[in-house]
Amino acid sequence: MKGKTIVITSGKGGVGKTTATANIGTGLAMRGHKVVVIDSDIGLRNLDVIMGLENRIVYDLVNLLEGHCKPHQAMIRDKHDYELYLIPAAQTRDKNSIDAEQLRGLCATLEEDFDYVLIDCPAGIEQGFKNAVGSASEAIIVTTPEVSAIRDADRVIGLLEAAELHRPRLVINRINPDMVKRGDMMDQKDVVSLLAVDVLGLVPADERTITAANKGVPVVHDKKAPSGAAFLRIAARVDGDDVPMVNVVSKSGFFGKFKGLVGMNGSAYSHA
Amino acid sequence: MASKSAVVQVSGRGTNVDFIIDDSAPFDQVAQNLRQYLVENRGLWSRGNISVNAGRRVHSQEELDRIKQVIESESGLTVSRFWCSPDHFDQAGPAGELPPLLESPPNRPSPRRSKTETMPRPWSILRRAKDSKPGNSSKGQPVQALFVKTTFRSGESIRYPGDVVVLSDVNPGAEIMAGGDIVVFGRLRGIAHAGVDGDPKAAIIALDLDAPRLQIGPYTGLTPAAGSRSKSKTAGPRIAYVRRRSIYVSPYTGRFARYTRGILYEG
Repeated sequence: MKGKTIVITSGKGGVGKTTATANIGTGLAMRGHKVVVIDSDIGLRNLDVIMGLENRIVYDLVNLLEGHCKPHQAMIRDKHDYELYLIPAAQTRDKNSIDAEQLRGLCATLEEDFDYVLIDCPAGIEQGFKNAVGSASEAIIVTTPEVSAIRDADRVIGLLEAAELHRPRLVINRINPDMVKRGDMMDQKDVVSLLAVDVLGLVPADERTITAANKGVPVVHDKKAPSGAAFLRIAARVDGDDVPMVNVVSKSGFFGKFKGLVGMNGSAYSHA
Repeated sequence: MASKSAVVQVSGRGTNVDFIIDDSAPFDQVAQNLRQYLVENRGLWSRGNISVNAGRRVHSQEELDRIKQVIESESGLTVSRFWCSPDHFDQAGPAGELPPLLESPPNRPSPRRSKTETMPRPWSILRRAKDSKPGNSSKGQPVQALFVKTTFRSGESIRYPGDVVVLSDVNPGAEIMAGGDIVVFGRLRGIAHAGVDGDPKAAIIALDLDAPRLQIGPYTGLTPAAGSRSKSKTAGPRIAYVRRRSIYVSPYTGRFARYTRGILYEG
């Protein structure tokens, strides 16, 4: 088996890298793939919490790279019945405790056994970013439709191109359909015209993403959540399926306007 | 595939091969180690063209010729061109002393770049025109225009003694400083400083001029506030130029003549 290593990065913190990693990883596993997700945010470990695997951690990424354990010992299997594994970050160390070469070696080894190796990249463009990016052959950029996040995404795309990761794909997270409709939030077109990269998916802002993360069950498990459905479509696109983009904001046709008039705002959008 | 040699390191991934050469090592040592590496690993290379990234090192023509000769004689590879890091321009000084870059064959894929810690941008666009046409440098020295084909992204910065032509967008947070004019065939939203050596005759032209701040020579102009801006927000290419010690912006009519009746960008 020859898998792919994909890094999920953003530049800016707090835009949803870890959430995206957990959900895309779970989505790919739900499609029957063997997936390992690596939390490379050493010192600020999060991915385990979002996946609900916090209390199963024995060994972490640093232990593994330092040779204190075998890869299978550091891999925690997901609670659900999928071929999904997590290699958690070390919480008590920092980004300099691993080196890019070691991580690259680990990913190359994992690619032998897994279909997808997803790396959750730390925020920023310092050593942690370089470690994560140096190991991957593909990149997914997560941004929100806010100027600051987009500015950072732009910077990161430049750095990725310099690191030979061409054609990164973009996930626009936390799109608020009502705000876009009012013209208070950038829409997909504005973001893409600036960043000039392919869009992998659009994720609507959804409270259930947060509830799910707090429960430690990624939102893709919730088929009714708009964000979960969006992440599932993103996973399908990562997997090579040609899933059509659905605009997060509904076209304001007659029915949409009617709904707006009557005040049925809640479900007035279809989502990507 | 990584050599442990301190001076010359080679790493390969996929179909790409990077030669990473220590910027500070003396040239003779580099040449020797490079030759040694190629000899040791003879047979590893198939025939083909490669690009060599010279990084931050300033090479003379003889040195580049020697690197080319070493690589070509010790392997079946053909060196088709050299690249340099953008910082080079600061060191390279005025015209004529620019790093001698070999002519690049058309339509080659993006060049190999070294993964140094600063991860310099590809200068895929930098090439030397054969006929030297005088540029717009303030000192009157002939400098070729620099063509940038990729999107200029946030955090990327360039300083070049001649004219700069960008064939795509200049995004917010990017910075161009040119000794001559700046022409952007896209949307200019970054910082542009034309005539950086003090030449007030330099101009900035963009298909979509949407920069928060423009600088020409010693003058600075800020985009007028939203109210008066709607007037200036007419679509189409526009030119920024200096008149009466201020920066004005007019629709660009396709000729590089004196413009009048522009909108004032107060400094």
